[in-house]
Amino acid sequence: MTTMHCTMEQLLALRGPDAATEPGHAAARDHLAGCVICQQEAARLDQRVARLKALPVLIPARDRYAEIEVRLVKERRIRRVRWAGIGGLATAAAVAGFLLMNLVTPQPAAATEQLTQVMTESRALEGELARLNPDGRAMDLVTAQVAGELKARIAVLDEQLQSAEMPAGHRPTDDQLIELWRERVGLMDALVDVHLTSASQVGL
Amino acid sequence: MADSYLLLNADTVLAGVRAGDPGAFERLYRAFEAPVFNLARRMCRTAEDAEDVLQETFYEVHRSLAQYRGDGSLWGWVRTIAASKALMRLRRNKYRDTDELTDDIHPGRSDDTGLRMDLEAALQRLSDTARSVVWLHDVEGYTHEEIAAMMGKTTSFSKSQLARAHVKLRAWLGEEVAV
Repeated sequence: MTTMHCTMEQLLALRGPDAATEPGHAAARDHLAGCVICQQEAARLDQRVARLKALPVLIPARDRYAEIEVRLVKERRIRRVRWAGIGGLATAAAVAGFLLMNLVTPQPAAATEQLTQVMTESRALEGELARLNPDGRAMDLVTAQVAGELKARIAVLDEQLQSAEMPAGHRPTDDQLIELWRERVGLMDALVDVHLTSASQVGL
Repeated sequence: MADSYLLLNADTVLAGVRAGDPGAFERLYRAFEAPVFNLARRMCRTAEDAEDVLQETFYEVHRSLAQYRGDGSLWGWVRTIAASKALMRLRRNKYRDTDELTDDIHPGRSDDTGLRMDLEAALQRLSDTARSVVWLHDVEGYTHEEIAAMMGKTTSFSKSQLARAHVKLRAWLGEEVAV
């Protein structure tokens, strides 16, 4: 007569939290209590699981955080641009509605609002650029040239914008100022893109 | 497991991450980087796949943090995301299972001490599915019900994968019982 030993599935089930009370395990439990071979097999199983738990913690070969951060910054930018787009559309719709109803030219308050908005966008891009730490990263010659040109154009714009502090008659009109700031935002956006692309390519 | 700083300051760190503070998210990453990578590396076949899972996990954590209500532990929540990402990676790669093939190469010689493997090698030799079930159940402590839900399979599937994997590990390791 052949003795039927516990299967691996039964031995595993007997290690479970409900092993002592589960009626379905009663036969296997009784057999295990009286069978030295199955007790040894159960001990092997316990030891194997203990060895699995004792395996060393593996760590990544290199730091991946910079790559993660670059993508998160990109995602934040996309979200912000989407919201800005929605906000811009809403503003445009409101302005159009106002003009249609009142048949008047834009008031100085509207120009101030636009100016504030475009200056805020520019400041946000400055912040993102600072977070990317462009001066602390290596970049190839072509990228460095493109970044250099963009920075030079931004510097020229900054000089023109400083003239806004000149006495009346010499300074640009509100419309001209808005255009200058818009141009600056465009250039800053391009500069951030250049550094983002460079950072993601080098994996820094 | 999370480091002590995060355990003590979890609410502050989470509030910082939700407010868009990049420093706070980096603290979260540093706290869970090693355990997430370890889980991914134990489930995936290559270090490159595990590194991709590590990244994908933290993108998901960043995107979904608003949904974390603090019902369970933060590590438990992050770990489930990591395990799901690792399983998705395995499904995407559709690696060829090698354990059946290698079993046939040396039939009946599993007790030969010359063929004994160390546990790391034996674990790697299991199929992706079997290795994942072993790791999730025996080391991470997931129940068969939880594993089945993550894999989109039945509880019986998880139990049978675990049992078959242990039979193979037992043979490949040529284990003796330590007295």
